[in-house]
Amino acid sequence: MQMDFHYYATYCAAFIAGYSHEESLDIAYSAQFVDDCSRTLLAKIKGPSSAATTQMQLEMMDARTDPIGLQDITRIWASFHFLPRDLYAEKKKCSKRYLNKYRLICGPNGDLVVKTVELAKGKPLQSVGIAMHVLADTWAHANFAGTPSLVINNTNYVFYELFPDGDGYKEKQIKFVHKTSAPDDLDNSIYTNSLYQRNENTIMNLGHGRAGHLPDYSFARYRYLPAWGEYEDMIKENPADYMKAFTQMIYAMKYIRGEYDAFETETYDNEAVTPHLLRIKEILEKRQVIACDDWKTFGEELSGRKITDYSMDTYFEEYMKSSKADKDNTFLGRFIRGAIVHKGMVIDEIFRSGNILAGFSKQKIINEG
Amino acid sequence: MTLFQRIKKILLSICMFAAALFFILNPSDEAYMAVVSILSIGLAVTGIKDIVYYYTMAKHMVGGKIILIQGVIILDFAIVTGSLTNVPKIFILMYLIGIHAFSGVVEILRAMEAKRVVEGPWKMKFSHGVVNLVLAIACLIFIRQPNTALIIYSIGLMYSAAVRLFSAFEKTTFVVIRL
Repeated sequence: MQMDFHYYATYCAAFIAGYSHEESLDIAYSAQFVDDCSRTLLAKIKGPSSAATTQMQLEMMDARTDPIGLQDITRIWASFHFLPRDLYAEKKKCSKRYLNKYRLICGPNGDLVVKTVELAKGKPLQSVGIAMHVLADTWAHANFAGTPSLVINNTNYVFYELFPDGDGYKEKQIKFVHKTSAPDDLDNSIYTNSLYQRNENTIMNLGHGRAGHLPDYSFARYRYLPAWGEYEDMIKENPADYMKAFTQMIYAMKYIRGEYDAFETETYDNEAVTPHLLRIKEILEKRQVIACDDWKTFGEELSGRKITDYSMDTYFEEYMKSSKADKDNTFLGRFIRGAIVHKGMVIDEIFRSGNILAGFSKQKIINEG
Repeated sequence: MTLFQRIKKILLSICMFAAALFFILNPSDEAYMAVVSILSIGLAVTGIKDIVYYYTMAKHMVGGKIILIQGVIILDFAIVTGSLTNVPKIFILMYLIGIHAFSGVVEILRAMEAKRVVEGPWKMKFSHGVVNLVLAIACLIFIRQPNTALIIYSIGLMYSAAVRLFSAFEKTTFVVIRL
């Protein structure tokens, strides 16, 4: 997902869930900041590198792919962008090494989403934003794993874009290119993806790189063969999935606000979006590279307030100028704390499942959370 | 690419250059035996690695059988190469012709496929294919010369070293999808 959903749509969901305009902006900023909080950024603001929630392109270029390096990559990507659906998934006749990767496949409505949302309850708004980012990505990034793996994340030439046509779909084969300089050509179904590399652990095989940005586009519908799927076609309908992400975020935030006693999977607040259903569907289905403007207009109509555009460095000065003792009480200090606690929880759950791909976390951090 | 990986690449290319030069300047039966043994062991390790990777991982992957087939073929080449140490050099040359011609055609076909399905780094693949074909033709032309096998192998080694060295200094071409 991109800024359109993580910032503007998250603002809309938070406002519908009952947060004030200001609170919704804080949640939206935190949700989007997950995509920016790299080690490079943390070094710049003198924050702890263990709070990194993403890796920049240059960091990834230099990332080690030995077991220690892989654990580092997996901690970040599996915790914040590809939350595993089922850490105890079974597959017959496969090695432990394969199973460890297979169990990291991301998907919605898993036990870890529940733990993520529960962890954010009673915490500052920054933690709510982090949880909403993670929850939303479980829908967009479903079927890919947050660890480099050819056998899980690879795709091949069987990749078709689907266009609604009467009761069914018209198919068009997608052409992938490797030019980051040119934007995706939506009219001709030409998209950029990462290079095919036969090495199991190369960074090219991380997440949905081999499927390009298709999972990030709310309008996209496509059919393909996931590498792990035993030759069964997978049809991904992003408009429907993104709608579920949106309504699940509303439900999750209502739970965090105390409207519900428990957060349950497969539960969506469809009622809350009924008055806006057509409008939201229209935004989700519109073929465009980024839908920030549409979500922003919708959000401003909802709250009747101006939504300030996302600016990454909004809270840098406050954090950098604070004394060591006060840092934890700044906006970014609370974000950093929330990120470390969330990451610790996910790493610990992966480790407890007998999977060493993410290493292990210090128990102290989890308990303090 | 990390600094360590770059240094590793540079050192390996220097070693490959040195070995190739040594073989060209001192063509002897011992050098010939050494080349065949190195080739055989290298191929065997790659083939076995591919087969193990298939059975532990790629067995469950769409299109994963190609890795097994590749592994078996490479291992087969390794065994054949190892068994050629005591046979006349003409057979080695025929074998080199076969390997280079086969790799050349496969590389060119893969480059063409890459150009058609995915726009991207097909030129490098294509040039590898052309170099392999040229080496195969050179083997054919100089088939009667006594040290052709050693020299052709050394030229191939130097080409690989040059490509490796070039890639070590090259700005890393990297297509990372912002996830």
